[in-house]
Formats: sequence, structure tokens, C-alpha cells
Amino acid sequence: MTENFEDELRRALRPVQAPAGFAERVMRALPERRDSVVTPIAMQATARPPNYWQRLRAPAALAASLVLAVVLGQRMALYQQQQEEAAGFAASQELLQALRVTSQKLDLAYQAVKNPPEAGAEENRS
Amino acid sequence: MLTQAQPVPDDLLVRARAGHAPAFAEIVEAHQGSVFSIAYRMLNNRAQAEDLAQDVFLQLYRKLDAIESLEHLGFWLRRVASNLAIDWLRRLPYTTTQPLDEGAQVAAAATDDDPLMSRELARLLGELAPAARAVMVLRYQEDRDIAEIGTALDMPVNTVKSHIKRSLTALRSRMIGAKLITAEELS
Repeated sequence: MTENFEDELRRALRPVQAPAGFAERVMRALPERRDSVVTPIAMQATARPPNYWQRLRAPAALAASLVLAVVLGQRMALYQQQQEEAAGFAASQELLQALRVTSQKLDLAYQAVKNPPEAGAEENRS
Repeated sequence: MLTQAQPVPDDLLVRARAGHAPAFAEIVEAHQGSVFSIAYRMLNNRAQAEDLAQDVFLQLYRKLDAIESLEHLGFWLRRVASNLAIDWLRRLPYTTTQPLDEGAQVAAAATDDDPLMSRELARLLGELAPAARAVMVLRYQEDRDIAEIGTALDMPVNTVKSHIKRSLTALRSRMIGAKLITAEELS
């Protein structure tokens, strides 16, 4: 039956004749010069495939975007690192200053303990 | 007495390329049936099929330099006609079940086969998806082999086989549904 059905299909799809005068109409529609035929819109989809460089355009743009993203990312990371280092340096300077002040105060306290005020001066006071 | 030699086929191409209009007209006349038939079976509309077939020949006129032989010419015309028709159908909002024109059926040669079944088969073919329809037209109307169909439609051979198998199954089941063949006939 499969072969019969395929034969039936072949009979159903017998070629049909072109309309009368078709070739004459085609010949009338031809331009004077062969290179001036306008490509129909439908044909543009099946026209010549893009050449080597045209095919490379999209991957090249993608690769360039990736490289740009990586470079920008590195710059951003470097900038952040520099900012953190500057903040750390400022904090260490503040700590050193605080230690210096504390040290001076301790020196004053030590001197006060080592050389206490005289007894007379204490009695006069009371 | 020597008879005048018929021009070798490829001579037609040489003359057509050189701008000899009668040579190009001869090419059009030789291939108009095939190109128009593909367009008509794909679009199911005579006016649109004629427009499409005309586009194919105008395109051929521009691409004559790329045609290597008359054999290549036939392949090129079938390929461009099929792909143009697929593109055309994909741009339409509704690509299936367009009414079948009456005139073209009259133009096909009358034989002793069942005209009702032939007409219904041709109509049901119009319900297939564009790519599957192109495969069936090239296979059963143009009698092309599977490898050539694959090349013409930029399709792997297995895809062509798959289209044929699924389309045959679909067409058979629809014919049974329309009671034009019986399930027993399939077994």
C-alpha cells in the first residue's frame, strides 16, 4: 500500500503547465542590463552567505567586549585596593598619634609620682 | 547530406550569458513548467505562483554567470524556487489550507487515476508546514533523490527522510479521515 500511496501522490502532484504567455511576460520584465535586476525581498534571505570577515564580525565584537570588561574589572579592583590601602594608612597614623599622646600623659604622671609635692606645701594647704 | 547540428545544451548558456535574448527565452520555456509547478504546489495560488516563478527567472538572469551547466541550471532553479516559496509562506500570517485554484488542475494532463483522490491529496499537501511541503514537492513532483533535496533545501539527509515519513503518515491518516481510502488498504 505504501508504494501505491506514493504512486498516487506522484499522480496527484503531476507538474502543471505554466500560464499561457508566461515566458513572454518574463522576457518583457527583463531589464536591459543583467546587473540591474533588483533582488526581490524574498530572495535576499537566500542570497549569498556572508563572507569570512562578515562571519567574524559578531564573534570579534563579543571578544572585544569581553576584553574590555576584563580590563575595566581589573582597573576597578586596583582602584578599590588603593582606596583601602589609603584608609588603612590614615588609620595607622591616627593610632600612632594616639599612642604618642598617651605616652606623653604617662610621662607626666610618672614625673608627678617620682617628685611628689613638698610636705610644707601640703600643710599650708590644710 | 549533413543535417544542421543541434546546438549543444551548454551553448544555450553561453549565448544567454552573452545577452542573446532568444537563448534566455529558450531556457525559460524549457524550465517554466517545473518552476511554476513548484511555486504553485507550494503556494496553492496561480497568481502568486506566477509572480514567484517570474522572480526566480529574473534572479536567474542576474546569476547566469554562476550557472555551470544545464544540469546545474535545473538544480539551481528548483533550489531557488523552493526556498523562495518557503520564505514567501513564512511571511504569510496563515500558511496552510489555502484554497486550491481550479485552473491548474485542468492544466494537468488527464489520466485514468482517481481525480477526487488526486485533488484531495494536492489540497492536503497544502496543509503541511512549508519545509515539509517543499520536501514532498521535490520528492514526488520533481522526482528528486533525497540527497539532492537535502542539498537544495540546506537540510541533513535524515531530516529529509524524517519529513517524508511524517508527511506520508499525516497524508494517509487525513485521507482515511476524508474516507478516500480505508484503513484496510494501508495494512
